[in-house]
Amino acid sequence: MAEIAPKRFRKKKNEEPKKVLIDVGDGAAIPSKEDVGLFTAWRVAFFGAIGISAGLCIFKPDPYLEIMKFVPDGILVTFEVTVLSILLALVIGLFTGLGRISKNRLINGTASLYVEVIRGIPLLAQLFYIYFALGRFVQLPPLPSAVIAMGVCYGAYMGEIFRAGIQAIPKGQTEAARSLGMTPAQSMYHVILPQAVKTILPPVGNEFVALLKDSSLVSILAVADLLRRGREFASQSFAYFETYTMVALVYLMITLFFSKLISIMEEKISAE
Amino acid sequence: MRNDGRKKMVEMKGVTKYFGALKALDSVSLDVYEGEKVVIIGPSGSGKSTLLRSVNRLEEINGGTIVVDGFDIYDPAVDINKVRVEVGMVFQQFNVFPHKTVLQNLTLAQQVVRKRSKAEAEQVAFRLLDKVGIREKAHVYPTKLSGGQQQRVAIARALAMQPRLMLFDEPTSALDPEMIGEVLDVMVNLAREGMTMIVVTHEMGFAREVADRVIFMDYGVILEEGSPEHFFANPTHERAQQFMRQIL
Repeated sequence: MAEIAPKRFRKKKNEEPKKVLIDVGDGAAIPSKEDVGLFTAWRVAFFGAIGISAGLCIFKPDPYLEIMKFVPDGILVTFEVTVLSILLALVIGLFTGLGRISKNRLINGTASLYVEVIRGIPLLAQLFYIYFALGRFVQLPPLPSAVIAMGVCYGAYMGEIFRAGIQAIPKGQTEAARSLGMTPAQSMYHVILPQAVKTILPPVGNEFVALLKDSSLVSILAVADLLRRGREFASQSFAYFETYTMVALVYLMITLFFSKLISIMEEKISAE
Repeated sequence: MRNDGRKKMVEMKGVTKYFGALKALDSVSLDVYEGEKVVIIGPSGSGKSTLLRSVNRLEEINGGTIVVDGFDIYDPAVDINKVRVEVGMVFQQFNVFPHKTVLQNLTLAQQVVRKRSKAEAEQVAFRLLDKVGIREKAHVYPTKLSGGQQQRVAIARALAMQPRLMLFDEPTSALDPEMIGEVLDVMVNLAREGMTMIVVTHEMGFAREVADRVIFMDYGVILEEGSPEHFFANPTHERAQQFMRQIL
């Protein structure tokens, strides 16, 4: 009676919604409260940077306070480049991510090729290419060139994040949406993407911080960002050590501030 | 046998499906008439879920035809989305939308696909939540609900589209034993209202209560077909006898 069950062709699917962590490992480490060591390090670095720069400005206003008066214009430009680039990268990344999971071979192939090519070329080389090399055909001003180069570059990385985030949503969700009569686009827009955002947000935050730092590269294109302003000040005053110390401290404060902000946002979203 | 002038809701002819080299469905033919309740039983891996899923084209088939409500659903000229609106599906894993409240789970496709107004969709939704007995959970997120409640949300969500055919893919297999009853009750009521249903399940009590016909599948073919009583009393095929002994 107890016969050995015949070998079956398919295992029973048990789609448990699993929590997926996409670790891109780029940008500043975003501290969480569980990671006590890093959390403390964040506080030491952040408040240390504020303390040191404040102290330098108060006790040695020449040149430190002068520098602090000179560079804020650059901070605004840095933000401008960063925010515009990340927005562009998000749009490109969304379409790239969708393209990478597309069953259409042409779309899929194009998206994959874009990711492979862009990821294989250093950002600085891409900046040069768009501003100087393509300048032969269309001469764009430095700022749009910088934003396009950074957006296109980060769009490729963002595409991989979107792809992973979308693929992390259990297949049953798509099946449920489709069985209700939704088109693939409707099911993506109403069911999959809103859920994928949770998984996508932490690595996107990471990319934001990484992009903020990489935005210093645009100073090469005569975009008057934080680093460029520092360079201008230094070349007039010859106070290289003092200027770049302040520049580094300002970058550090900004980066750490955003890391923290993103980790708070992340906590709020996952608590919902 | 029951070809008494009733309309065929599903007409499957020679349906064949491979997963790689494995033949999941081997030239299966099956007709389901309007208002009929068909229960499909069989060991896991027998092809019963695959057969059910192919009825609204969640699986692509490699041969044969499936006509649902008059539409040949594997014909590229047929808009599968239009057919799926008429076919409700309930999954083993519920697949409720975790980012939407219970009410929104029920109204989303009504608004997006059926193009109903929010007010109209909510009216339909509340009526169905009453029916499955979870009106008070309308504004709760489904992750806060028990498995039985989630599955009832999933059934109500499918019914909100006012389908003409309901497919159930092992709707109680992922539930704790004490929650199976509440889901089966909803299904029994639905059957009494005259819904056409194809149900893949191991719940023989349910089969006895509502099924017009029981289909026994194994190795990707229909091995035996008959009334629930027939299966309880004397299934003829040896595999069916063995299966019935195991699950009863």
